[in-house]
Amino acid sequence: MSSHLERRYRRALRLLPGWYRQQWEEDMVAAFLDSWFTGDAEADAYIAKAAGPSWAEVASVASLAARLYLTGPGAPRRYAWGQAIRLAVLAVTLVQATRGLNVLVQTTWSRHMFSWLPAAPASIVAATPGGPWPPAVWYLVAYAWIVAFVTLALRYYRTARVIAALAIVPDLGQLLVGQFTGRLPAPYTGPWAFWILLNLAPVLAMTAFHRNAPAAAPGPWLLALPANYFLVAVPLLAVQATGNSAWLPDFSGLYCVLVALACVAHAATTRSRHTASSGVWSLTLVLLAADAGAYRIFSIGDYLQDPHLITVSLVELLILTAAVALVAPDAARARTATPAPPPDPHTMAA
Amino acid sequence: MASKPMTGQAFFVLTALADRPRHGYGIVGEVAELSGDRVKLKIGSLYGVLERLTAEGLIEPDREEARDGRLRRYYRLTRDGRRALAEEAELRAATARVVRARLGPAGTEAAG
Repeated sequence: MSSHLERRYRRALRLLPGWYRQQWEEDMVAAFLDSWFTGDAEADAYIAKAAGPSWAEVASVASLAARLYLTGPGAPRRYAWGQAIRLAVLAVTLVQATRGLNVLVQTTWSRHMFSWLPAAPASIVAATPGGPWPPAVWYLVAYAWIVAFVTLALRYYRTARVIAALAIVPDLGQLLVGQFTGRLPAPYTGPWAFWILLNLAPVLAMTAFHRNAPAAAPGPWLLALPANYFLVAVPLLAVQATGNSAWLPDFSGLYCVLVALACVAHAATTRSRHTASSGVWSLTLVLLAADAGAYRIFSIGDYLQDPHLITVSLVELLILTAAVALVAPDAARARTATPAPPPDPHTMAA
Repeated sequence: MASKPMTGQAFFVLTALADRPRHGYGIVGEVAELSGDRVKLKIGSLYGVLERLTAEGLIEPDREEARDGRLRRYYRLTRDGRRALAEEAELRAATARVVRARLGPAGTEAAG
């Protein structure tokens, strides 16, 4: 039967995470009792009944618990959110990089830089960007997102942050100049929403990438850029080339539809696997849906004169909401997802 | 990239295991003796250090022995642990030599 001393110490050990207690508790209790007992039966009986762990001893357990909860593998909530934010940033940067790749292809095609390609149809000839900056700045911005994405995927986090931060400056300048000179049509919400949600937010969230954070595998992400281009941008370009641009959603609508499709695909995959999902990808999709939804809502301001486009925008929002509902329960579980605790060194050695 | 500096507690724990495997309380006693009672490890602190050193592959469980109805688990140095301890001891010895040289005879006498 356990002594009063042992029970009091075990109570203090409850401060520690479960996985840690499972691996170390018995050992700690044995060492703690060893530190008290003298080998004299009478004295030990008295100690077992009357003594308890000192405040310094409890403080050492509390300090260990704090370290394990804050930095150990049992930091579940922070872990899931950190992972989801990093994946969402990679996804938004991928979207920006795909836009950059599109600019590159359209520009090179419309300037006849590939002699083996037929001349670009007038509907997709890249217009020279306007605004306060020379066109070269806009081309640089578009290509900078490609570099930012590649460096982020390859884990050169600081380089990616600097490039992305520089890439969003010309857009901000254009917004400010446009608003103060009246060149930008009121109510300005669409362009500002784009800058805040797709430029500023990912750049700020890039601080979630740090040396100690688990890194995403670069291979699949690097492949995602050409895949995204061929699966999304090329079909859109084809529709545009046939002169049917009116059927295409605007960028905000496309963002909503793509996130909705990703939610449906992820929900279907998770259900077919019959194994518990970590929920991190679902949480990532919820974050992306929030970004896409907010952008859709604020960019409706651009269509105040066109009730039909407002209806289309609302339908896109509805589709997005329905799709998010499929992954939301799994995303809620991600709050308690934990990375696997480290293997028990004692069983490994056995 | 430079490896993480070893803490004083980790250095003492590794030193305590350098000659033979020891169990938790055995390590506490040995560390106290090695440090002239200046380092008195609490059990919570000791197991924080043991967990870190195990995760870094510097120590590993050796065996378990039952005594007074309790299981005592012994730990031993791994080959990496032995190497890390030797490097740290060398670094500390080199630092001590520099300190002595800078203090000069007067400083050494004052300390004595």
